[in-house]
Amino acid sequence: MSSNRILTLYTWAFLAFMFTPLLLMIVASFNDISPPSVTHWNGFTTKWYRFFWMPEAELRADPVLRALDRTRLFGCMANTGTIMAVVVPLSLLLGLSGAVMLTRWQSRANGLLWWLLLSPMLAPGVVLGLSALVFWGRLGVGAGLFTIVIAQTTFIASYAMLILMARLQRQPVELEEAARDLGATPFHTFRRITLPFLMPALISAAVIAGLASFENYNTTMFAKGGACNFATEIGAMSRNPNGHPPVINAIGTIIIVTTVVAALAHAWARRRESDTPGA
Amino acid sequence: MHGQDVRLDGVSITYPNGFTAVHPTDLTIEAGEFFSILGPSGCGKTTILRAVSGFVDPSAGRILIGGQDMAGISPERRPTALIFQNLALFPLMSVRENVAFGLEARGKPKRERLARAQELLDLVALGDQGDKKPTELSGGQRQRVAIARALAVEPAVLLLDEPLSALDLKLRQHMRAELRAIQQKTGVTFIYITHDQGEALTMSDRIAVMNNGRIEQVGTCDAVYSSPVSAFAASFVGEVNAIAGRATGAEGGYLRVDTALGPLVARNPNGLAAGAMVYVFVRPEAVTLHPGADDNRLAVHFERRDLEGAFVTLHLRAEANGQAIAAQLPNTGASGDAAAIRAVGFSRDAAIALPEGALAKTGKEDMAAQ
Repeated sequence: MSSNRILTLYTWAFLAFMFTPLLLMIVASFNDISPPSVTHWNGFTTKWYRFFWMPEAELRADPVLRALDRTRLFGCMANTGTIMAVVVPLSLLLGLSGAVMLTRWQSRANGLLWWLLLSPMLAPGVVLGLSALVFWGRLGVGAGLFTIVIAQTTFIASYAMLILMARLQRQPVELEEAARDLGATPFHTFRRITLPFLMPALISAAVIAGLASFENYNTTMFAKGGACNFATEIGAMSRNPNGHPPVINAIGTIIIVTTVVAALAHAWARRRESDTPGA
Repeated sequence: MHGQDVRLDGVSITYPNGFTAVHPTDLTIEAGEFFSILGPSGCGKTTILRAVSGFVDPSAGRILIGGQDMAGISPERRPTALIFQNLALFPLMSVRENVAFGLEARGKPKRERLARAQELLDLVALGDQGDKKPTELSGGQRQRVAIARALAVEPAVLLLDEPLSALDLKLRQHMRAELRAIQQKTGVTFIYITHDQGEALTMSDRIAVMNNGRIEQVGTCDAVYSSPVSAFAASFVGEVNAIAGRATGAEGGYLRVDTALGPLVARNPNGLAAGAMVYVFVRPEAVTLHPGADDNRLAVHFERRDLEGAFVTLHLRAEANGQAIAAQLPNTGASGDAAAIRAVGFSRDAAIALPEGALAKTGKEDMAAQ
């Protein structure tokens, strides 16, 4: 067998390894049986999706769905939104400060600072969650949304910083010096020269930070105390002793479809942008 | 707009890593002057420029602009404007916004700054290019945008850091004339940094020759060219033949020098005495094919003849040790029998004896390659 065919075979095996579980999950989300199965087909249903909007009476009539606390799940999803709404801007602000400092402030301590600011990204998420819990507990702040936000921000700010640093390093320092030389204050220079240049990186960093906050489980789990968010609630639902309800498959399918559509839309928008003359 | 004078008063600049870029320097640049600082890369000329514009603080000494001490005054509050080597045009702004930026930073109303930007774009003949992005312009046009942007803030002193180095030869020569014209029209003090002696000689009122963090000579272009004070200044500014030797005696402003090419006599402005190790410098255009009785004589043989239009350069080799000697003659059509040349000469007044020192290295070949 030629090496080319081995490579082709390997690629297909790899793709199958990655996507078969997802396909099975999607198929099971339309199977009228709980816990979810693809080997035992019990008829097509959309009720695992309709769970989110079906009338209360129908919900109570279903033997599987009535065991679930829909109101609580909605509350936890709203919490995820609240957390993201704080974590994203906070991470951008902190990441931007760190990036500007490390790229513009020439200090001998830069090497040390770089490691210091990135260490939360390398530290196990469990440790970050626990340390936020313990630290704020000592200060008399109970675990909850606040500690989740703090714990997530500690490492998500590092992601933002890395993305922004990569962009800032590509901007010649002379541009900022030229602005200063022409009479602009440091603030005006930052607003008119540095910030517009950073805009694409800020958008990328916001998306990455949002996704990181949305999907984070381990740090959030330890910092949450009595509170919940989407990730921890799905975690709780899947630990059901009777096997997890197919509602989770439905949620997973929605997330995958959303991701794929978003990726396609992004690629399409990029293509249009590069097709536009003069851009 | 009107220029102000710039004074460096014992300025020295040492970087945090311990490297001294500029040794203690005194320098006065007159108001409204076109002043060039000429030196090889790494000689400290850019550091001086950055110190005047406020991006580097002197380690010692004072910088005065218009008589006012600049210590503690940040770049945005100095009456200077700097044109960067890479121009540093703002890529996301239109040409007009670039030119208007300085006025925007000063809080001028939009209508006023756009009108002023248009005036300046007209001045540099880019009146109809205001809506383009800098990347859509040619190198020479970008150059002019940078000049217009700097002039928009009505600086008393315009600092230029080798702004022509990225342009091709033809454009460079054109921009020299244009820069000179703009300087004379505006009366702003220009401090121009370059390693290209041709650029410095054609544009400047005065030049300073700089090497290894020290200014070796300050003077008019003519003075620096015809009466260099150091081996470096003589060899960096213009083409020159340098013949090493040992002084055997001084008399009446001239110095006798024993060299491998035979005894020579040259002007002795530094009053050197017998025993000194010296270089005798003579410009190629001072070398003649028909030496008189009182002139210095060199036995040579012909190697190559370069026709350069109005003049001809003869590349010769000394018989004694094979040292290259260049002679430049007006192209009268009479140098066709150059191969027959056996000796050349130069008058004692055309030669100058200076203390032995570092000669400018291959800087000129670098320039030719650019």
